[in-house]
Amino acid sequence: MSRVVSFEGLWCVFEHRSGQLVNALHDVSFEVQPGEFVCVVGRSGHGKTTLLRVLAGLQPPTAGQTRLGDTVVEGPGADRAMVFQQDTVFPWLHVRDNVEFGLRALKVDDEERKSTTAHWLDAVGLTDFADSWPRELSGGMRKRVALAAAMAVGSDVILMDEPFGSLDYFTRRNLHDVLLDLWEETQKTIFFVTHDIEEALILADRVILLAEGKLVDDIPVDLPRPRDEDVRASAGAVDITKTILAHLGITEEEATQV
Amino acid sequence: MTSTDVLDVRAKAQREKRRRRIASIVYIAIGITLFFVAWVLLSLEASPWHYDIPPPFGAVGPFQDILQGVWGLFREEGAIAHFWSNLGTSQDMRIKFVHACPDLHPANVNNPFRQVASSLMGWKYTSDTAALTGGPLPVPIGQLPDYCYGYGIHLIVTIIRILLGAAFGTIAGLAIGLSSLVFPKVAQVFTPIASFFGTAPIFIAAPFFVIWFGVEVPIMTTIGLVTFYTTLLMYFFSRRAAENIPVGIVESALTLGGTPRSIFRWVYLPGTVPEIAGGFRIALAGAWGLGVLVEVLGIQVGGGHLIDIWRFLIGQLQAPSALVALITFYGVLAVVVDALLLVVIRYLTRWSEAGRRLGL
Repeated sequence: MSRVVSFEGLWCVFEHRSGQLVNALHDVSFEVQPGEFVCVVGRSGHGKTTLLRVLAGLQPPTAGQTRLGDTVVEGPGADRAMVFQQDTVFPWLHVRDNVEFGLRALKVDDEERKSTTAHWLDAVGLTDFADSWPRELSGGMRKRVALAAAMAVGSDVILMDEPFGSLDYFTRRNLHDVLLDLWEETQKTIFFVTHDIEEALILADRVILLAEGKLVDDIPVDLPRPRDEDVRASAGAVDITKTILAHLGITEEEATQV
Repeated sequence: MTSTDVLDVRAKAQREKRRRRIASIVYIAIGITLFFVAWVLLSLEASPWHYDIPPPFGAVGPFQDILQGVWGLFREEGAIAHFWSNLGTSQDMRIKFVHACPDLHPANVNNPFRQVASSLMGWKYTSDTAALTGGPLPVPIGQLPDYCYGYGIHLIVTIIRILLGAAFGTIAGLAIGLSSLVFPKVAQVFTPIASFFGTAPIFIAAPFFVIWFGVEVPIMTTIGLVTFYTTLLMYFFSRRAAENIPVGIVESALTLGGTPRSIFRWVYLPGTVPEIAGGFRIALAGAWGLGVLVEVLGIQVGGGHLIDIWRFLIGQLQAPSALVALITFYGVLAVVVDALLLVVIRYLTRWSEAGRRLGL
């Protein structure tokens, strides 16, 4: 059962070691409908990860609140599973046990746990590696394990913090396809933090733009799926890209040089 | 690449693995040989330590010694020969130190260690009392033959005490250390205490344990001190191991619905194994020295006590041989136990690259 995610007047202020106050989030308010694929885009250090951590319940806001349906988020929970940027697969558990972790914690009975695990391992194409150790897998495969584990716990919302940032182009594209297939199958709400505009264009229904902790724009991505090279080169995609770049204070020339 | 090529690559990898294992065994053999060569050289007449260090196998030339190594075990004048011939029973100790020789008379046997000793040397007792009385019956103590327990029983007693102390300490240290992760109050109470005692060299505590608890109750001295020392070390190692688990992994577990209990069971326990295992190796290595030291200070049974006896007898009754043999025994024992530990640790940490490469 999916629920609306609401951010209401969210502030997150950190005190720097020098005593200076830093506004990681500055009065952020918006809503996300069930089943939406939202990409949060912004420069490094502009509050993307903080926003996701607040929603995950890993970081309490200084003011404001986050709600999942009628429930105010007060701590982490399996209804908001998160896939992290760094490698967070448990290295001491086999791939199968990694996917089972959340189900064990939720005390799901053996039979259901096994069938759910088998389903998600199959969905991410890792059935043959169920008994492998994480160290025996590639970086992309480990990300698929993390994705399967997050999907398996039956979260309403999946939070992804630049999960494919460290992977090579081809692996990343492959994982985009895997993720989109899973999203279409489950219709879960997905929050995906990225600083890669192309990645946002491939994945998102909607782009939330953050700059210096403020929500500067909320851009719908009305492009047909699948978003192949032609779609991403279309006038609509170029317009979205220009809008994002303008908000981020980057000229097209600079973007090309990058 | 064909499937035959793949098989060739696999076979090559297996050959390489086998080669590495054989090489490790060869290196160990070379190490042991070099150890004995060094020992023989130090015991030569030309060596300044000639009077302190007896030859390992017997008073013949170094090269003959090495060649006749196994045969030399049966010679009497070498340290290892002395150790070997006194392993079951020892006449020399009976002659000089009656108190080092627990009574063999069955009527006086009420200590469990002595009972074990009696049964271990039952063959000797039976044959000797049969010779005295015409049958395997108790005889008055004065008529007992002039020998007493050999090194074996003393060393077994020491090993049991040290391993028990290390086991108790490990359980206690881990229980406190890991529970402090779930209940921060435990850490608040225990960390200052552990830090206070942890800063003092543990050998300083050894005489206090002997003074406070006396020499008659080894559970409070040898076992007590080893337990105390291991508890401190394992507390610190378990805390550090848990702190070294990446925060991201714990946060990931939390967002997957992990409860404190499930995170403890599936994250902290397995994740801390490599560091805890490494810490246990260090703790056990120290425990050998510590346990023997306490026995040297006054316990009446055990390897440390034997060292104490031979220390008094230096210059007589093959005392240097005995001392060197006993110290060598503990060295070899520590290496053997460590090798066994490595096998266990390698199994427990097979998920990590470092664990997989540990040992052979």
